[in-house]
Amino acid sequence: MTAEPATVLDSRELRRRSRKAKVVTPPSPRLRLPRPIRRLQRQAPVYAIQGISGLSTRLREATGREVIDMARVVEIIQFLYQQRELARRGPDYAVDDFGFDAQWTESLLPLFKAMYRDYWRVETTGIENVPATGRALLVANHSGVLPWDGTMIKTAIFAEHPHPRHVRALVASLFMGMPVLSWFLRRTGQTVGHPDDTRRLLERDELVLVFPEGVKGTGKAFKDRYRLRRFGRGGFVATAIRAGAPIIPVSVVGSEEIYPMIADATPVAKFFGLPYFPITPTWPWLGILGMIPLPSKWRIQFHPPVRTELFQPASADDQHLVMTVADEVRNTIQKGIYDNLKLRRGVFV
Amino acid sequence: MTPALPRRVLITGVSNPLAAEVARRLASQVPSLFGCDVADPASALEEMDFVHADTRQSVIGKLVRQLRIDTVVHMAVTVDSAGEDRAAHETNVIGTMNVLAGCAGPSSPVRRLVVKSSQAVYGAAPGDPSFLTEEGAGLDRPAYGLKRDLFEMEQLTQEFSLRTPECRVSVLRLGYRVSEGTTLGRYLSLPIVPTFAGFDPRLQLLHEDDAAEAVVRAAMLGHEGVFNVAADGVVLLSQAIGIMGGKALPVLPPYGRWLGRLALRAAGVDLPGHLVDVLAYGAVADCTRLSSTFGWKPAYNTRAVMDSLARGKDVEVIESPSPPQEYELQVYLQRRRRRQGNGHAGTTLTVQR
Repeated sequence: MTAEPATVLDSRELRRRSRKAKVVTPPSPRLRLPRPIRRLQRQAPVYAIQGISGLSTRLREATGREVIDMARVVEIIQFLYQQRELARRGPDYAVDDFGFDAQWTESLLPLFKAMYRDYWRVETTGIENVPATGRALLVANHSGVLPWDGTMIKTAIFAEHPHPRHVRALVASLFMGMPVLSWFLRRTGQTVGHPDDTRRLLERDELVLVFPEGVKGTGKAFKDRYRLRRFGRGGFVATAIRAGAPIIPVSVVGSEEIYPMIADATPVAKFFGLPYFPITPTWPWLGILGMIPLPSKWRIQFHPPVRTELFQPASADDQHLVMTVADEVRNTIQKGIYDNLKLRRGVFV
Repeated sequence: MTPALPRRVLITGVSNPLAAEVARRLASQVPSLFGCDVADPASALEEMDFVHADTRQSVIGKLVRQLRIDTVVHMAVTVDSAGEDRAAHETNVIGTMNVLAGCAGPSSPVRRLVVKSSQAVYGAAPGDPSFLTEEGAGLDRPAYGLKRDLFEMEQLTQEFSLRTPECRVSVLRLGYRVSEGTTLGRYLSLPIVPTFAGFDPRLQLLHEDDAAEAVVRAAMLGHEGVFNVAADGVVLLSQAIGIMGGKALPVLPPYGRWLGRLALRAAGVDLPGHLVDVLAYGAVADCTRLSSTFGWKPAYNTRAVMDSLARGKDVEVIESPSPPQEYELQVYLQRRRRRQGNGHAGTTLTVQR
């Protein structure tokens, strides 16, 4: 501080004339840990990363191969920090009219990508058939007791497509009445399987995913695996024609084996108001552990689009045409399933 | 065809705050304005003649013919009834029936009728489409309480409009409002808000200003038909609670929601049955018909409605009113009186201010 006398005088003068400032003390926390412990708290993540990377190097030297992948560790840390940031945004975030929170959904993608790459080792083909922009209706087979196939199709397009897009799936209205699922599904971009909702989403040029089999597909027994159920009444075709959207058939292989459903306890299902109550080798015997899906090998194939946008919108009322197209889509998916089953070496490899 | 502008307007139920606001806006636009209600109006409006008349008795017919009314704005409709289902039924169904009977007949001078209804007529259910259109007023599930009353009322109105083609009828299904007096507003302003466990529905709201503006436009321009009137966009329930500075506490049981309703009543908030469904599943109306026919849409979006409620929460004391504030003060005092008079407003609610 090299202050000239004049300024010193001025500042002194100012200080003399000024009113006494009110001293504002920060609110004291109830419990304040000792300083070394607080420093340790602050430094803990750094120490943890250093420790893990040291361990990783040592293990690599000892075994000659990568045991702990540091890229994965960094991904996990990134995920945790991102979640913390999202928790901090409070009520200041926007959802679209359907209740879709894109930012939050994207923050969960690392979890689903881990399932996609490491757990089910999904192999995706025909991703180039999915348009980078504009509307399209993805139609897929539905299986597995819980709709994991939907999450994997969504993840496939986000992970593999050169222009990642959010897929908006249509779910049975039944799930919208269930606690937790009702908000989780809406918040991650799903909506009710109602023709009106499909139309609105397609008119907004979204990528919409529909499972025409519905709960008949997810609730089928293990012995019926890979046999497509009835495709509703072809309502999805009529909606696609009216909206001028192409239909992209999608075949998913592998989701049938995640929960092999031996039997359906209908009375229990009736009691809880569910469409089916699965009995698998692990559920409900192992409780919540029984909900862990088996690590089957998955393949997803996106087929070339059916050009439903070339029809006149009025032809949506032609029931014969609608049913023909629906059958065509169903056959494409069924054939795709058989092809991919042949390509798969085994259920778990 | 552009119909003639209204000349002699009667507003029923003019003592409720929304109708009073409609009257204030209409006063400058129409030559003569009349208002009727059971209770005294909050503030005397110089341009309006006030008559004590109960819509539940058949006096409207006489009134309409004597005063040569050409436009009736029927605002004596309860859309936020908490607990008093009986009274709401009397007001909504019997009252509307009397008003319609008064406006019917060859000797009636009425050429335009605006009826206030509510989005509550849809209720809320998990299988509903994400956006409810005007045709979708549910017939497929059991209606009860306010929802059934409003539905019955709208049916009567529709029958009336079919029988009297010379009268242009518009029904406005106003969205849920969260100003200070409404149940939803009071629920959201609780310091700790009990919510249904595992549900976080989308809420769509409507600002009081927009509600009044919609009614005024319907009365002035006479758009025929049923219209959803609600703000753009949605907020999630948890967001709405966060904006109000409260804390959401998901403790109410997701199944057997009437139990949760009883618990809330014990806590001092008496949620009407239709709102319980809305707080679990959410209900959002599609307002494209409104914007295409009226050429106007609500100025506040849902987020802005919530923000304005949150701001209003801090403003409570009015000191030394200057003349322009007189009206607001009167409205405020009236609401306060009503709250104390009804008793059900809950003493626990005033604590957090």
